Amino acid sequence: MEWVDFFLQQLITGLSNGMIIALIAIGYTMVYGIIELINFAHGDLFMLGAFLALTLLGMLGLGDWSGASAWAAVVIMLIASAGFCGALNWGIDRLAYKPLRSASKLSLLVSAIGASFILVNLGLFWGGLPMDVFAGGVAAAAPKDFPALVPNTNLLGEESLVQFTPKDVLVWVVTVPLMIGLTWIVTRTRLGKAMRATAQNPVAARLMGIDTDRVIGATFLIGGALGGFASVIYSLYNNTISFQMGYRAGMDAFTAAVLGGIGSMPGAVAGALVIGLVRSMSDAYLETRWTNTIVFGILVLILIFRPSGLLGSRVKEKV
Amino acid sequence: MTQNLPMLAAALALAFSASALAQSGTLKIVSSLPRTGSANAQTGTIVNGIRMAIAEVGGKIDGYEIAYEDWDDASPQRGNWDPTVEAQNANKAVTDPAIVGYIGTFNSGAAKIAMPELNKAGLVMISPANTYSGLTKPGMGEANEPAIYRPSGSINYFRVVPTDDLQGPVAAEHVAGSGAKKVFILHDRELYGKGIADVFQKRAKELGLEVAGFEGIDTKASNYKSLCQKVKFSKADAVFFGGTTQSNGGQVAKDLRSVGFTGMLVVPDGCREEAFIQAAGASNLEGNTFVTFGGLPPEQLTGRGAEFCAGYRTMFGTEPEAYAVYGYEAARVLLDAIKRAPTKDRAAILKAVAETKDFDGALGIWSFDSNGDTTNRVFSISSVKDGKFVFERRAGDAPAEGTKAK
Amino acid sequence: MRLLPTPILAYFAIMAALPLFMGTSGLFYDAFQAIFVFSLVGLGLNVVTGFTGLLNLGMAAFMAIGAYTFAILTSDIYPFQIGFWWGIVATVVIGAVAGFLLGAPTLGLSGDYLAIVTMGFGEITLDVLKNLDAVTKGTQGINPLPRPTFGSWTLELQQERGWYWLLLGFVLLAVLAVRRLERSRSGRAWLSIREDALASQCMGIPPKRTKMIAFSTGSALAALGGALFAALLSSTGEPASYDFQVSILALCIVIVGGMGSVAGTLVGAVVMVGMNSLVLVKLADWAGAAGVGGASNVLASPNNWKYLIFGLALILVVRLKPDGLLPPRLEGGSG
Repeated sequence: MEWVDFFLQQLITGLSNGMIIALIAIGYTMVYGIIELINFAHGDLFMLGAFLALTLLGMLGLGDWSGASAWAAVVIMLIASAGFCGALNWGIDRLAYKPLRSASKLSLLVSAIGASFILVNLGLFWGGLPMDVFAGGVAAAAPKDFPALVPNTNLLGEESLVQFTPKDVLVWVVTVPLMIGLTWIVTRTRLGKAMRATAQNPVAARLMGIDTDRVIGATFLIGGALGGFASVIYSLYNNTISFQMGYRAGMDAFTAAVLGGIGSMPGAVAGALVIGLVRSMSDAYLETRWTNTIVFGILVLILIFRPSGLLGSRVKEKV
Repeated sequence: MTQNLPMLAAALALAFSASALAQSGTLKIVSSLPRTGSANAQTGTIVNGIRMAIAEVGGKIDGYEIAYEDWDDASPQRGNWDPTVEAQNANKAVTDPAIVGYIGTFNSGAAKIAMPELNKAGLVMISPANTYSGLTKPGMGEANEPAIYRPSGSINYFRVVPTDDLQGPVAAEHVAGSGAKKVFILHDRELYGKGIADVFQKRAKELGLEVAGFEGIDTKASNYKSLCQKVKFSKADAVFFGGTTQSNGGQVAKDLRSVGFTGMLVVPDGCREEAFIQAAGASNLEGNTFVTFGGLPPEQLTGRGAEFCAGYRTMFGTEPEAYAVYGYEAARVLLDAIKRAPTKDRAAILKAVAETKDFDGALGIWSFDSNGDTTNRVFSISSVKDGKFVFERRAGDAPAEGTKAK
Repeated sequence: MRLLPTPILAYFAIMAALPLFMGTSGLFYDAFQAIFVFSLVGLGLNVVTGFTGLLNLGMAAFMAIGAYTFAILTSDIYPFQIGFWWGIVATVVIGAVAGFLLGAPTLGLSGDYLAIVTMGFGEITLDVLKNLDAVTKGTQGINPLPRPTFGSWTLELQQERGWYWLLLGFVLLAVLAVRRLERSRSGRAWLSIREDALASQCMGIPPKRTKMIAFSTGSALAALGGALFAALLSSTGEPASYDFQVSILALCIVIVGGMGSVAGTLVGAVVMVGMNSLVLVKLADWAGAAGVGGASNVLASPNNWKYLIFGLALILVVRLKPDGLLPPRLEGGSG
């Protein structure tokens, strides 16, 4: 039954795409939950994570990657990009957002937009590095091929029309434990408790002896690190990176966060899976050129009937 | 003399003003190309080509200094060509009397903005990259094209690249000639990509190919796996992608292969650059990917073309890319006209460009026809082997009368 | 509280006089024509975001609707050809209707949910303009567009001063309209909704209707800006000329200028658009003249630094002036 195969294929593709979006979306939703900032720079931070990963690969040498050495390289990249993006996000908060804690929400937003522009420009410069992986730096702005470390073999057998590859496995193997770990941090640790308290009422949290600046810093660090993990998974799954990839990735993730109910982590994951699936189904059964319209159309419809998103709680707006 | 200080000051002031520069022997050429953002890679090679052509004449023609300015028609907000900036550039060029030639634009949409302005000022414009047919050819685009770009009634716009209405059919004939029966057509919804996909489809149907699908892609998507699976399940044995490296051609090629599509992929000259191979990954293009290109690729060129390649390598230390030749050719044909023009003003230079005939260029020997198009109709088809473009064969019409091929 | 407080009067006096010292053509005019277009969009967004507190990330969509409405109604490739002035009138009306249609189902959403709906609307508008190429000409843009006529006299595209003053005139009209509205019953309702939605509802202010009026006013002004943007180019450009970045620019204008301040918005447009079309262009020119650039190194080309400079400037402005360059209390009037 060919149409069944086709449908199953779309499910696999949609869910894998959705899980990658989810990792980025959590970064948005965490920061939003704690300081009510739509962190425009988050998508571009994610982009820089991918550039770091590709640079590392270039430094490790681009030989024949297979078996254990390939998986070792994946682990090194994951750790390095997560550390890098976490630290960078923390630094951006220090320099660009922290001085504006008492200013209006929208000044903060403009600062984030400024940070986003700077990160995009750094990505352009980075793409011009004189390394083989960047084509020697001649075409700084061009999209870069990300080597296929993870094989594209079909785990269901080469005859099967449906493709399920180690790439799809990788996406789930990395994202699911990360999400479980994160949920544990937020619900079970002291830091998590402090984060929730700060999100609910920063003044009261400070009165209770919580160092809210440290808590906010930690939130940026964790959110950034998730962006870093996502950047490596994205790169290994799609095999192309470019200095402009943060825009769409950021927009999808932000939409997912809002769709699920901004501030809610399970919501962000649910929203991301919905977006991944809708994109796949629309590409496959309708026309690609209408996919964006359908995604945002569904978003508007859902919000009209559920104004706080899929899993968001009905909280009075803080203005 | 010393008593005449005010006069001296006035003369000095005059020497620094733009109008005085023209009299004192400087002719300025500008290019207006998107230099901020993603097209930067291709426009960089065009600018190199222009600089090289100017360096070859020693930066001087008949005692006149040739100055060159590399203008950007993109803005950081857009990351791509910006109509406002292109309009500004056109205005800036018109009002600076020292400027005698405008090389540009890269995007056909931008040309539509600049053309009427430059036309009214009688400033010659030579594009190294616009391929949208409606800019020059009556009956190919809208009913009012190309007249709306020529408010003065005469022609000031020329291009050194063959147009989409010629290139699309070359690609369709290649697909049909390979024995394919069913083709899936993708395009990037841009003026260039959609335009060439439209003519491809028309020719493909004439040749009896079955068109399995015709779809515009979302150029900012992270991947096209679902779309490519649709292509695979449609059992098409060839795909044509109308678009460029910038409109994500590399990702399309990559995802076609990653979902297990094994048929032929054909792309137009917007993808004929190293950056496309870089983006797609060499192994994904190996063997069954074909690129059409107006003119012969650099390494196949003889005579002037071969000299160009050697010179480019020495000057910039890299291999010339497809667009470098166009930039070089556009600048050379302009410099040649400046040399032939009896007086070095806009009108005389425009007239000299229009009279260009049997020009011994890097792309062969060619002329400008009455629409301002190149008579060069030689196309080439290349494939990709070991991460390099490899010339396969010549294609397209013989050159129109009045020219002979090399 | 006068209709035009001193800072605004000073702005218009200076702007009206400037061309007398700037020759009759050049970069100055290009930059300031763009500044005036974006002043209109900024004034519209200021009503929505500054006065009423609704975050709108889709102003570019209303500009696009304005530009394409104007183009379709006036260009000679369509049968309507109603001329420049009627085209402008129709654009303003349709802009307001579009704002109403988007606002009606969505204005009940709170804060950032509304923001993403407007952002989504921006994306949908771009896709529709791109995909319905039978009507919109896809990415080709619609051109040429008519010039404004005054009796038998036509303002040609080269008459830079004429366009400058024409656009400045539109900005003046928009400022007068916005200031009138701000002082009217609706305007006071906007501010009270922004300050405390619940309290103002208790005072008998209908939140939905109040927001709708603000939203429609803002959309109409953005549509006007879009129509003039297209008229100035004599083309709609491609749909991507009205993408998310344009909405972001509009937002930066309002916030950098000072939320809720009309004078601030005018200054914000000068600073933000001026930086884009004057300062960055000049910097690149100077660097080019000084012999920088041309090498294959990405760092050497001044054009490659534009994003960075723009971003740094944004961060510095909000850092030094968190309430904007000219917040409402300094404007001398509203607030």
